Amino acid sequence: MRSIFSMFAKSPFKPLASHIDKVRDCVDQIKPLFAAQLAGDYDQVQDISEKIIQMEYEADKIKNDIRDHLPQSMFLAVDKRDFAQLLSAQDDIADAIEDLGVILRIRHLANPDALKEPLNDLVDHIVMSAHSACDLIHELENLLEASFGGVEAEKVEKAGHQLATYEWEADKKQFILAQKIFSLGDGISAADLLLWNEVSKKLGAVADKSELIGKTLRIFLAK
Amino acid sequence: MDLATLLLWFGILACVYMACNIGANDVANAMGTSVGAKSLTFRQAVLVAAIAEFARAVFVGGHVSDTVRKGMVDPNLFADVPMHLVYGMISALIAASIWLHIASSLGWPVSTTHSIVGAVVGFGFIAGGADAVNWGKVGFVAMSWIVSPVLGGLMAYGVFRFITIYIFDKRDPVAQSKKLVPFLVLVVFVILAISMVYKGLKNLKLDLDFQNALLISLIVGAIAYVIAKILVQKIKAVSPDNINQQFVSTEHIFKFLQVITAFYVAFAHGANDVANAVGPLAAVVSILNSGSVEMKVQMPLWILTMGGTCIVIGLLIWGMRVMETVGKKITEITPSRGFSAEFAAATVVLICSKMGLPISTTHTLVGSVIGVGLARGLASLNLAIIKKIVVSWFATIPFTAVLAMLFYKAFTLFLP
Repeated sequence: MRSIFSMFAKSPFKPLASHIDKVRDCVDQIKPLFAAQLAGDYDQVQDISEKIIQMEYEADKIKNDIRDHLPQSMFLAVDKRDFAQLLSAQDDIADAIEDLGVILRIRHLANPDALKEPLNDLVDHIVMSAHSACDLIHELENLLEASFGGVEAEKVEKAGHQLATYEWEADKKQFILAQKIFSLGDGISAADLLLWNEVSKKLGAVADKSELIGKTLRIFLAK
Repeated sequence: MDLATLLLWFGILACVYMACNIGANDVANAMGTSVGAKSLTFRQAVLVAAIAEFARAVFVGGHVSDTVRKGMVDPNLFADVPMHLVYGMISALIAASIWLHIASSLGWPVSTTHSIVGAVVGFGFIAGGADAVNWGKVGFVAMSWIVSPVLGGLMAYGVFRFITIYIFDKRDPVAQSKKLVPFLVLVVFVILAISMVYKGLKNLKLDLDFQNALLISLIVGAIAYVIAKILVQKIKAVSPDNINQQFVSTEHIFKFLQVITAFYVAFAHGANDVANAVGPLAAVVSILNSGSVEMKVQMPLWILTMGGTCIVIGLLIWGMRVMETVGKKITEITPSRGFSAEFAAATVVLICSKMGLPISTTHTLVGSVIGVGLARGLASLNLAIIKKIVVSWFATIPFTAVLAMLFYKAFTLFLP
């Protein structure tokens, strides 16, 4: 026996929050991963990388579930394309972190001293930025309750700007790291040089996608 | 037992079946918004519905039943064969009930008004030919396919935007709702009171003109305002920085408001839809008593009371399952959203039924829910289901018309 209530579709915003929680688990592995790498503990790098792959897989399951339950006939409080973009951005963060683990496992990467400081600086910054993006997704529930207006909207607007600033700062830190990597010259093997450059790019991707989350939420407010 | 008594009992049975189906289909849907938002438990919802349906059945006479009984089909056609009108009305009741029964079990919130209109048109068509049916009136009713959801939707959109702008967009929603909610209570009570006392209360031999009715309603509203004002003062203030707690407390205030609007919806529904079940029976009783077709039929109080009782019984027996699902299911509707939809639907239905327009409670409510959705009040709506619902609306009139034709043919074949 059904009723008028079959009109209400299951809200995709709650699973979206569950998805970002899994992404956050991945984010929380970034610091341990680089700590192990810089300490030269390659077994630990391997373990953490495998852990991340498992977490990313779980996030993927939620992502696919959300996509399967987002049929054409669903009317959302936000543009469906924007919603899909938000989900992709979250997914991309987890993917980038998974890639980081894989890159560090390709070979026993040397740890030149000159890289340590700029690398740690960038990693700290990226983790902070990704954490604020995760927090922002949890604001969505309040944002829906406020029907995308009021104090809650201001809060999200501000956080979105903040994420853009983080991304801009991450770019600068990434540039400094790249300078260090390429200034090593012959002090580093060509293979290591290539891989460290990849690492730097993937870390940048995490910041980019965090910024995209903030941007998309601000689009929600504007419409 | 002679044929007349037999037919009377048959008519009563058909009316009981119809009323039970109305309780199962309509009332469950109307009360469901409150149950879904967890503002009322199932038991409380039944109690509220019972009080409201009775209040309506006892206090207010039926404007709409006139339109249904007299408007669609010309009763003069049956002046020579009054018994045929009896057969027709009973056929219409049975046909409409069967359709409602099918619709309830398939989960289609269809209109009881349209079911009975379709059935009356059906037997009128076969009894007197196409000329016997007042197609203008039928068109007028069919117009409410568009009018009721659109009015409900516009009203709900407006109400929800109002709440968003004046409560949720403010720095301190709790303080703001303390200011505004008593005002909303006032509006609900004034409309409720005015629909009860203006041209109503005929059964209590009180017939007030508009001025007096407005005066009484304003007094009732003012009393409700003061009580609401005292009640909201007890709600604790919340720091504006704690946005989450702000929303929780605001929704809590709306929970109380939703108890009132649940009554409001049930009352509006009673005002509109009880007549669908009891109107045809009143015609049957009048013909059997007088032996002739009368233009104006007095609605006996016992029929109204019986209609109200059976609606509550229907709600208890069949509506239970609907409400249980609704209560257990995590619906995304919160009390503020439920309030907007209910308030809009009930107001539209009360005003339209006061004007004698046979509007559908269910259609209006579906429109209202969509209105709240368009105002970005709901996380998501299932458009595929809404499409199905609309298709079932269009199927209602042809289905009940054909069914009533068949029953009417059977009656006239076997009975004099």
